[in-house]
Formats: sequence, C-alpha cells, structure tokens
Amino acid sequence: MAVMRMGYMHVRVTDLAEAKEHYANTVGLYQTLEQDGRVYYKGWDEWDHHSVVIEEGGVGYVKCGFKCDKPEDIAEIEAKTIAFGYPVERMVAGENPEVGDGIRVTLPSGHQIEFYSHMTAWGLEVGTHNPDAFPRHMVGIGAPRLDHALLWVNDPGEIERFFVDVIGMWATERVRTSLDDDAHTIATWLTIGESNHDIALLEAPENKIHHFAFEMRGWSDILHAADIFAMDDVPIDIGPTRHGITRGTTIYFFDPAGNRNETFSGGYRCFRDRPTVTWTPDQLGKAIFYHQRELNERFLTVAT
Amino acid sequence: MPRLTVESDGVTIDILEGETILEGLYRNGFAYRIGCRRGGCAICKVDLVDGEVTYNRTVADTVLSDEERAAGTCLSCRAVPVTDVKIALREENLRRVSSLMAFAMKAAPRATSAQSQ
Repeated sequence: MAVMRMGYMHVRVTDLAEAKEHYANTVGLYQTLEQDGRVYYKGWDEWDHHSVVIEEGGVGYVKCGFKCDKPEDIAEIEAKTIAFGYPVERMVAGENPEVGDGIRVTLPSGHQIEFYSHMTAWGLEVGTHNPDAFPRHMVGIGAPRLDHALLWVNDPGEIERFFVDVIGMWATERVRTSLDDDAHTIATWLTIGESNHDIALLEAPENKIHHFAFEMRGWSDILHAADIFAMDDVPIDIGPTRHGITRGTTIYFFDPAGNRNETFSGGYRCFRDRPTVTWTPDQLGKAIFYHQRELNERFLTVAT
Repeated sequence: MPRLTVESDGVTIDILEGETILEGLYRNGFAYRIGCRRGGCAICKVDLVDGEVTYNRTVADTVLSDEERAAGTCLSCRAVPVTDVKIALREENLRRVSSLMAFAMKAAPRATSAQSQ
C-alpha cells in the first residue's frame, strides 16, 4: 500500500491574523513556519513538518497532500494516473517548503491532490524516548493530528474509481440512491489504512471543500473541545454528536474565514475485506447526525 | 444607533456599535438561514433595500463580488450598518426563536438593545 495517509491540507483564509489565532490557540496546533503569506502547522502527535497550511487571500480549498511510503510509490502512482487519464504533473522538492519530490493530480472536480514521500521530520511534541501521554501544556483543544477531508465534487462515483483503482483505497461506507446494484453513488468514504476514511466525496453542484478534520483522543476530548469553542466564540455547526456513518463522534465548527473544521474521534477499525456499508437517502439524517436524525440546513448547503 | 428594518417581516431592531446585521437579529431572538457566520459560505446573503453598510473584515471576492455589492447584495454576517438600513430576506421569513425577546421588545422596544449590552 503506497499511500499511508492524508499528510496535509492547504486552505485559504481571508484574515491571516485571525486564522493564526484560531489554528494556534483554539485548535492548538504548533506553528513550524511562516513564509510568503503562508503559515504551516502540525499537531502535537504528528512528526512531519506540517499537516495544515493556511494562506491569506480568499477562502476554501487550495490542495491537499497524501504521503506515500517510498519514493518509488510516486512513480507508480504517476504511471497509473496517466493510464487512468487524469492530468498529472511533477513537483520538485521545495515547491512546498520541507516537502520532497512528488506529483500533483488534478481531479475532474478541479481539486488538486499531491503525492509525496518525504517531508522534513520535526518530531512528536512528547518525543520518542520514554514519552509522556500528551504534552504537559496543551493549548486550546489540543488537536493531535489531521485526520481526513470531505470534498464536494460533481461526480463522487467517478472520482471514487480513481482513489480505488489508482491509489488502492476502498469504500468503507457509501450513500447510494437505492440498494440496487445499479444505484448512483451520492457520497463515498474512502480509506487506505484502518481508519474509517482518509477522504470522503459528496455530490454537490460546486467543487469545494466541505470540511477537514482533526482526530481527537476520544469523546471526552470532543466535549472539552466544545467548551473551548464556547469560550473562544467559535461558531459550532453541529455537535457534539455522533455520525451514523463511521460511528465517529464529532463537532463541526468554522474557522474565522468560514472553512468548516471537524473534531473527529472513534469509528471502527477497517480491514480491506470488511463489507462496505450502504446508506439510502431517506436515512441521510441519521447517517450524518445519528442523535438528531435530521440534517441541519447547513450540511448540504455550506462549503468553501 | 442605527435601526435595522427587515422589510419582508416588518421587524425593526436597534443595531449596536460595530454589530453586524446577523448579530443584531440573533441578539434580538430571531433566526434565519445562515451558515458559517464567518463570511465564507455566502448563505446568509440578503438584499439591502435602503441605507448603507460597511465591512469591518475582509470579505473574499468569491463570496461577494463587486457586481453583487453594487446590485445591493449584502453579506449579513459581515455587514455592519452605518445608517438606518432596510433589508429583505430572500425567499424566507425571520423565525422568532426567543419568544421572551418578543415580550422584552414589546415592553420597551428601544431599550432592548441597550439592556443586553
């Protein structure tokens, strides 16, 4: 399995100072670099140089990166992508600070996704020699690591084929128009490892980002995060609650530019031979917000 | 203190210094269709029928274009009234989510805003 995980998410923010306050002091990420109007962050339980990049000017998705195991994996993905038919270009070390050579694939939705195998090591905040369980002076909600993203795309079924056939992911859960074999895929949750999803795709009229998520240590940390959001006047979209899809516990909230963030925890371990779960649209309320069992008016309308 | 009138609903409220249209309406116990509250999603756009608003924070062009501004579109989560303003919601009505605020406004319509400061 060449791809290991989503390594970074890069988004635009309208006001860099406000966004820095949010990602450093509320989300509790560690700033590792500020350069050319971009700020780079990592969570305390991440070892690579950065996992979140914010860039001043506008709002919404710039790109995300998936980290591969070995340099050879990139050539393999490049060849497979060309055969598959999506545009791919090479990127050289340093194009993204502290990131090695790689490739950049443009999905039919216009979303750019980078694949790389090297990023400068920074180290876990707790170290690797007889480490403590968490940093003694955690800031804000103390998000440990980037987890996944949900993209709005015109055709999730089509783009799912890329992630399955080229990247080697598989769908843990899907929303389909019906339980029939020829049903249309409305949304899909794709994983490369044992987590519920590394990327999810939702059918929408525009190609945007719905949210990107941080993995928290459990439900109690999610509740603590909600308290911090109240203190910092962070708009909460919904939660704390549970998703029917993935069984994960969650809060959706917004950064100061209106990009949706999520704290996510739980879910079940996924193995490649696990059967894919199917949800039907009439149960979408329960699928998305398991306790409320109805969608709020923002879930299908708000994205950046 | 600017006054905000929601033409489509016949509601008038006071707007505090620096307060956005969204903040003023929610402080007075009303709700309508909003999204991120942070100027990113464009869901809370309303029509500015009369008066002037300003934006104290940067608004992305992709969210509110110059053409839209010129045509009277107003991003209510970021728009701060500088004069008395009149707006119209788009294809919806205000919802009153705090009936207690209705009692308060009826008792002292001009004092409601000041009390909650």
